[in-house]
Amino acid sequence: MGKLFDWFDSRFAVKAPHRRFFERSIPPNLNYTYCFGGIAFTYFLILVLSGLLLSIFYVPSEKEAYKSVVMITNDIPFGWLIRGVHKWSASLFIIFIILHAIRVFVSKAYRPPRELNWVIGTSIFVIAMASGFTGYLLPWDQKAYWATEVGTSMVGTIPLIGKSLMYMIGGGSEVTGTTLIRFFSLHVLFLPLMIGILLWLHFHIVKRQGISTNL
Amino acid sequence: MDRRNFLKRVVKLFFLSLNLSLIIIISYLYPSKIKQKRLLNIYVTDEEFLPKKGIKRFEYSFDKDGERVTNFVFIKRDEEGLTAFSPFCTHLGCLIRWNNIHKEFICACHGGRFDKEGNVIAGPPPRPLERMPIEIKDGKVFLGIKA
Repeated sequence: MGKLFDWFDSRFAVKAPHRRFFERSIPPNLNYTYCFGGIAFTYFLILVLSGLLLSIFYVPSEKEAYKSVVMITNDIPFGWLIRGVHKWSASLFIIFIILHAIRVFVSKAYRPPRELNWVIGTSIFVIAMASGFTGYLLPWDQKAYWATEVGTSMVGTIPLIGKSLMYMIGGGSEVTGTTLIRFFSLHVLFLPLMIGILLWLHFHIVKRQGISTNL
Repeated sequence: MDRRNFLKRVVKLFFLSLNLSLIIIISYLYPSKIKQKRLLNIYVTDEEFLPKKGIKRFEYSFDKDGERVTNFVFIKRDEEGLTAFSPFCTHLGCLIRWNNIHKEFICACHGGRFDKEGNVIAGPPPRPLERMPIEIKDGKVFLGIKA
């Protein structure tokens, strides 16, 4: 590798303990569809970085939220770019998770001993959708408000526990500033942390079990 | 160029182009509005209330960006004329008070002490007390405040 890395490696020996994973053999009949998972992960990294940058100017309050989003988009240098990157990466993240799932399904990589990794993967997908739903409210404009109104009302139609669950998610019977703060917290703290932990498990299992050659 | 070297170059170019995003991120994070501080002339009191000789504490208020700010200042009069001392200790910015018995300024936070000229007598303060511009116009005392 490069000079800089060699300098670092000669002092901290970061390469040696990971040799097993760097130099592991990969089945010969792979194609580019096996990249979908990695692409989705790259989008996750971009989402984390652009989200961190957005959180510096975003204000999660009933009065300030919309104003701060307008400020990010119009006033702050490259704010429109960071916001755009976050928005498009979110869509592409979901799309590539779906493509990845299709690839895994087609190549039958979900079969034993990899059942649990399928479960973890679908959990990540569900949490990613939840991240999308909670993030959609944060601009606090008309579209965001009514989308959340509809979304939380749909939860309310679940038999027996529906209403209580709806109040629990929205922090009340209707979408208010409380909902905004709840969704903000979920979107930037709870859900990314959960995805991070599950991704670590997901990759760890792949490293342990290797890439499926069951096809 | 073989395939391996070509791919190596592509990867290097990719990481090099990442530096471009660093420029974008820095210009995104750099504050767009940095307010320059300017010297304001604030009315403190009338000349007749000033001490004939010695140090007295005066409170004053003024509007800063639509907000009412209240603070105080120590004004000294002697043979040399008027001197205004900022009430902030030069150590960490606690508010000092004037002890008229020992004739010295005392900062309660870390025991900093200044004499009536504002010079450090004891404690951790690194510099003498800050002096503020002061002037009398038509019997009114004005203080120069950076805000």
